[in-house]
Amino acid sequence: MLESLSYLIAVLAVLVGTFFSVVGIIGLVRLPDVYARMHATGKVSTFGVVLLTVAAVFVTPLAWSKALVLIALLILAGPVVSHAISSAAYRLGLPVKQALRDDLARHRLDKSADVASQPSPPLTASRAEGAPRS
Amino acid sequence: MLAYIRLVVICWLIYLALTANLELSNLIAGLLIGLAIAAIIRPVSQPLAIGRLPAALFNLLRYTIWLGIDIIRNGIRVARIVLDPKLPIRPGIIAVKAGMKSELGVALSAHAITVTPGEQVVEIGEDGTMYVHCLDVVSSAASAEEAQRKRRAMLERIFE
Repeated sequence: MLESLSYLIAVLAVLVGTFFSVVGIIGLVRLPDVYARMHATGKVSTFGVVLLTVAAVFVTPLAWSKALVLIALLILAGPVVSHAISSAAYRLGLPVKQALRDDLARHRLDKSADVASQPSPPLTASRAEGAPRS
Repeated sequence: MLAYIRLVVICWLIYLALTANLELSNLIAGLLIGLAIAAIIRPVSQPLAIGRLPAALFNLLRYTIWLGIDIIRNGIRVARIVLDPKLPIRPGIIAVKAGMKSELGVALSAHAITVTPGEQVVEIGEDGTMYVHCLDVVSSAASAEEAQRKRRAMLERIFE
């Protein structure tokens, strides 16, 4: 009884984890630029790998404490990676495609401006070619 | 001294969790490894209030659960955007004030934003302003200030 329950949980975790991994890869292919793609790949690490680790706890001799440390390290390190890649991309000058608004570019153009508390430009003003580069 | 003890205990617990083995020889080995790491790192001593530890741990647990719910909710939202045939994304970068003095607080706020799918911090300004890239900038801009206020309150309850 308990064994079949743990199998059920493991199968569910594998299915959901695989689903989110597949969605992440589809997003990696479909989304337009590097920033949006990092959202999709970040999901593979948070949902996909974490849920597969959870499944491994239930059906393999992996100790739960080890899995807990692994999940904590994944959750801590994953965002650092995607932030580093997107920050590097912005410094390289890759445009934010279809951007409705780009406060960072406004901040770069006018260092003294307090962008966060200023009223933002109307969100309908869509730019085709992304952020202007300084 | 207290900082050394804390670091050794943390390293010891992580070692025991990773090896999952509570034999005496393994306990001693973990303690020795913790002492070696503490000797290499040389932690600077900070004010340490042991009486606050249970409250801080409770708040940390609450923050983790809140973050987990946020991750799941936003994960489903982003999955729906990605699988939609029309790909209804409205990308953009918004500025969000962290409103926190300590660098650790700003870093943890940025971590919480980046770990939820659909939003990620591209750059952090010198004054602690976070530049957040969002897949759906309209709905994110509407809720960013409120979410950051909530996040800040929870983080301050852990570290104060």
